[in-house]
Amino acid sequence: MKKFDYYQPETLKEAFSLMEKFKGRAKYVAGGTDLIVRIKQKVIQPGALISLRGIDALKSIRHNGGLSMGSMTLIRNMERDAVITRDYPALKQAVSVLANPQIRNVATVGGNFCNSAPCADCAPPLLVMEAILMIDGPGGTREVPVDDFFKGPGENCMDSVEILKAIKVPDIRNPKFKTGMAFLKTGRVAQDLAIASAAALVSMDGKICRECRLAAGSVGPIPLRLRRAEKLVKGEEITPELLEQVGKTVEQEVSPITDIRSTEEYRRLVTGVMIRRGIGQAIGMVNGEL
Amino acid sequence: MKKTINFILNGHEVSAEVESHKMLLQVLRDTFGLTGTKEGCGMGECGACTVLVDGMNIDSCIFPAFEVHGKSVTSIEGLLGEGNRLHSIQESFVEKGGVQCGFCTPGMIMSAKALLDETPNPEDGEIRKGISGNLCRCTGYVQIIESVKDAAVRRTE
Ligand SMILES: Cc1cc2nc3c(=O)[nH]c(=O)nc-3n(C[C@H](O)[C@H](O)[C@H](O)COP(=O)(O)OP(=O)(O)OC[C@H]3O[C@@H](n4cnc5c(N)ncnc54)[C@H](O)[C@@H]3O)c2cc1C
Ligand code: FES
Ligand code: FES
Repeated sequence: MKKFDYYQPETLKEAFSLMEKFKGRAKYVAGGTDLIVRIKQKVIQPGALISLRGIDALKSIRHNGGLSMGSMTLIRNMERDAVITRDYPALKQAVSVLANPQIRNVATVGGNFCNSAPCADCAPPLLVMEAILMIDGPGGTREVPVDDFFKGPGENCMDSVEILKAIKVPDIRNPKFKTGMAFLKTGRVAQDLAIASAAALVSMDGKICRECRLAAGSVGPIPLRLRRAEKLVKGEEITPELLEQVGKTVEQEVSPITDIRSTEEYRRLVTGVMIRRGIGQAIGMVNGEL
Repeated sequence: MKKTINFILNGHEVSAEVESHKMLLQVLRDTFGLTGTKEGCGMGECGACTVLVDGMNIDSCIFPAFEVHGKSVTSIEGLLGEGNRLHSIQESFVEKGGVQCGFCTPGMIMSAKALLDETPNPEDGEIRKGISGNLCRCTGYVQIIESVKDAAVRRTE
């Protein structure tokens, strides 16, 4: 492994000025479960790493009606968080099948987003929850809707100096309607990187679906929001025939590739199935069946 | 870049000058001569290098050594039963045939320890999940799961 320097700033300001000093030769590191592995595989060779572990401003989970997670929140701590377990079960499911205990004990939610892999497990649930990303730079903070964050495999809307500070999830409980959500993942073995993943959120007014949000991972260059399929469901009664149609639409709406993990064709089919099941589970949650 | 890091290693305060690109695994094996912790893949996949940092099991092959400053690290050498005997988890592994070639064993036992510290009476599914970051090429896992079950019983006795 090529040598690199390792800096441990304690404030965001310090981190920005270190990053500015190294101009493109340095990388931020959170848990390092993506970054250190890529360095060891010689995919990247940064001259310096700037660790975000010592910055207190990035650490806490706050529940203030909604949910605000500092970017350095450990996947493990999300898995054990009582409010996430109760109110955001799709996110709970995603973090409990992300990798294995050793990885969950160091990996962060910010790293999962900033790594910007199409298979990032936190992305589909946070897409359907319409999370807001708080991004900090030397010039101040900006808020980016999760929809606008991902730009391509490994690419996002942040410049190299900026730091993802927190992820905010609005209170998804709707006073008028009942909301349910689900996350599903298909891997070669449990806890493997996803062949495909899917998240669904529905708000029901009796039998009528008032709000439907769908997202899928590992089936395009970025984690995808599936708006064409959503439109079929919104305002409708969800029947088996409608779900059939939703599945077909999803198969067309995603744009997967064939790689070592799976084929394009299988990914299309399985995502259609998972979205259908995800909607079913979300409705089950509304009806108190889960 | 070099720095002196101070941390607690298997219950003792230690200090070492380490290079900034070193991972905890190298420091344990090369600086402290604690070769119980193994390197399998070196890429965070197999768990052979598992140790506890502040009680949590982590893959030491991808954990930057600088990050253990001020923390507590427990490796397999730090497990000790009463009267200088094997730790009860180790005894269970010996008795239930949880060890074959032994390469995965130190990491497997550290994950078992982290699991049992948090969940003293795990169900089968919890044991499987708890050791899911540790690969074993020999046993087929059945004896390992039996070992962890046995260890749970011993510890609550
Ligand atoms: C064995 C194994 C299995 C895995 N399985 C899964 C899986 O099932 N599902 C899954 O989604 N992922 C999986 N991963 C990938 C990885 O563990 C996750 O993506 C994890 O959440 C990354 O977080 P991290 O803190 O380790 O990120 P790091 O590796 O520290 O960082 C990742 C990238 O984001 C940047 N970055 C991190 N934090 C910030 C920030 N706050 N601001 C700006 N930039 C930042 C870094 O510069 C780097 O480029 C797996 C990895 C391994 C090794
Ligand atoms: S050697 Fe660390 S996970 Fe394989
Ligand atoms: S006993 Fe040989 S790898 Fe597990």
